Amino acid sequence: MPRLTARERRDRYQREYAFQKRHGKSFFPHAVFHDTIVSLIVVGIIMGMSVLWWAQFEPVPTEAGVERAGGILGPAYEGRADPGVEEYDPKPEWYFFFLFELLRIFKTPELLLVGSVIIPTLWMVLLIGWPFIDRNPDRRLSRRPIALAVGVCVPIVLLTLTFYGSKAPGAGGEASTAPGAAAFAGGACSTCHAFADAGTAGNVGPSLTDNAVSYETAYDLIANGKGGMPAFSGTYSEDEMKCLAGYVATHSGAPAGEEGPEAATAAEVYPAACETAGGLFAGAGAAAAGD
Amino acid sequence: MSTLLPPPGEIARMPADWVAERSGLLSFGKYMLFRNVPKDISWLQTLGSALLTVFILQATTGVLLAMYYQPDPATAWNTIAFITNDATLGWLVRGMHKWGSSIMVVLLFLHMGRTFLFGAYKYPREMTWITGALIFILVMAMSFTGYLLVFDERAYWATVVGVNINGTAPILGPALSYILMVGPEISTHTLSRFYALHMLVLPGAIGGLIALHMLLVVRLGVTSPPWSRMKVTEGDV
Ligand code: HEM
Repeated sequence: MPRLTARERRDRYQREYAFQKRHGKSFFPHAVFHDTIVSLIVVGIIMGMSVLWWAQFEPVPTEAGVERAGGILGPAYEGRADPGVEEYDPKPEWYFFFLFELLRIFKTPELLLVGSVIIPTLWMVLLIGWPFIDRNPDRRLSRRPIALAVGVCVPIVLLTLTFYGSKAPGAGGEASTAPGAAAFAGGACSTCHAFADAGTAGNVGPSLTDNAVSYETAYDLIANGKGGMPAFSGTYSEDEMKCLAGYVATHSGAPAGEEGPEAATAAEVYPAACETAGGLFAGAGAAAAGD
Repeated sequence: MSTLLPPPGEIARMPADWVAERSGLLSFGKYMLFRNVPKDISWLQTLGSALLTVFILQATTGVLLAMYYQPDPATAWNTIAFITNDATLGWLVRGMHKWGSSIMVVLLFLHMGRTFLFGAYKYPREMTWITGALIFILVMAMSFTGYLLVFDERAYWATVVGVNINGTAPILGPALSYILMVGPEISTHTLSRFYALHMLVLPGAIGGLIALHMLLVVRLGVTSPPWSRMKVTEGDV
């Protein structure tokens, strides 16, 4: 068969489709019947999930503003949002897990943009522009090797990212008894940062074990945030932030229990600020006594 | 006297005829229902209509939720708790809205997978795919803006992190974050802005795009499967 021009190919398709339609069946009742059944099943699934969710709710708590817990489908709601309280749970909806995981993969400051902006933008462009990228006129999968490869790889990549993104940060070891360690491990920091001295294994942000940070930098990051990291100046008091920054500067870039190269930058405030902040910040012994 | 009145059957048909004569809606409806589709379309081609059903469900349950919800940081969480714990069948309405969004995303992926598998984005249906892709992105934005509205700890911090990530983009990022949050952090204005986006702007845009998508689907017809045996032979053309 001679090679067809694009125009001829399009005409041919129109002729073929017109033929299929002429010898087709009426939308009503044939397609409508199938559509109705599937829609009913889908609505049934949604109602079923709602009932399953509701059936496992714990009784309404008597205290105001706290979580109403639930079962496998999750709580009715968590506690009321309060930026001043150190409850920190930045988990997104499951279908954003793949983006979440991308951020974990590209977490160093130089690569941050790759995961947060470049790859998602590329995906959107590919998604919208796909009909112009795949110029192969054939519809049979056996004649579309590239599209088939894309069609297999994309779901695998997305499912893998979603799977790893769904995992909570792995538990690390024990927190040391240094002032600030318990606050680091028990508060927001541990969700994202691995830190040997605090025994945390979060992997959203960079590891602080390998990352020698000065006191000034640490304080600025905690107070004002940067990139994906939130600003905590509304959450922690000044002493609490000084304590955390001092603790990080003193122990970062070193194995657990040892002082790192930036320890001197924090010497002036640390651990005095922890003492003033009290509670978890003052160190293991004081926390036990203070509780 | 009685001879002047048309027979009862005709009287019953009068309102419909009146509308039909002025709007053409009847013939349009007839065309929609009785147009032909290829003989060998399959169950895989029901996912689009299931998506339409879920969209209507989300709109309906969303309106019901809006009758109780208050987009104010001081009261938002309490109204969610009220809907869940006290309002009659409130848990069901909220549950269906919440789980409907997850099911919608699953269906979107399945429907995209089906049209991809069938090569249904090829000539002449490129625009159908593009409108679909835009719907997909907007649905993700719906989820992002809806998540904050519950205003519990998870909603709050996930949104803070989400907006911060968005803020890492060069030039436009920080500006967009500022616009989203109406300032440097989440406040009363953030919540009403997210609410306005979630219940007016985005559903409006999605509804419009769905209308266009459906118009294209009806105009172009659905593809028969690529393995269809219905091929033109010389005599048929
Ligand atoms: C709420 C969202 C959507 C709704 C309500 C919707 C609805 C529909 C319906 C009813 C059809 C008819 C055939 C079928 O059911 O498969 C259809 C076809 C189609 N949809 Fe969607 N759709 C949505 C999203 C999308 C998305 C995200 C894409 C792709 C990115 C997409 C691409 C297409 C294409 C290419 C067709 C033509 C299929 C053919 O002719 O065989 N749609 N859509």
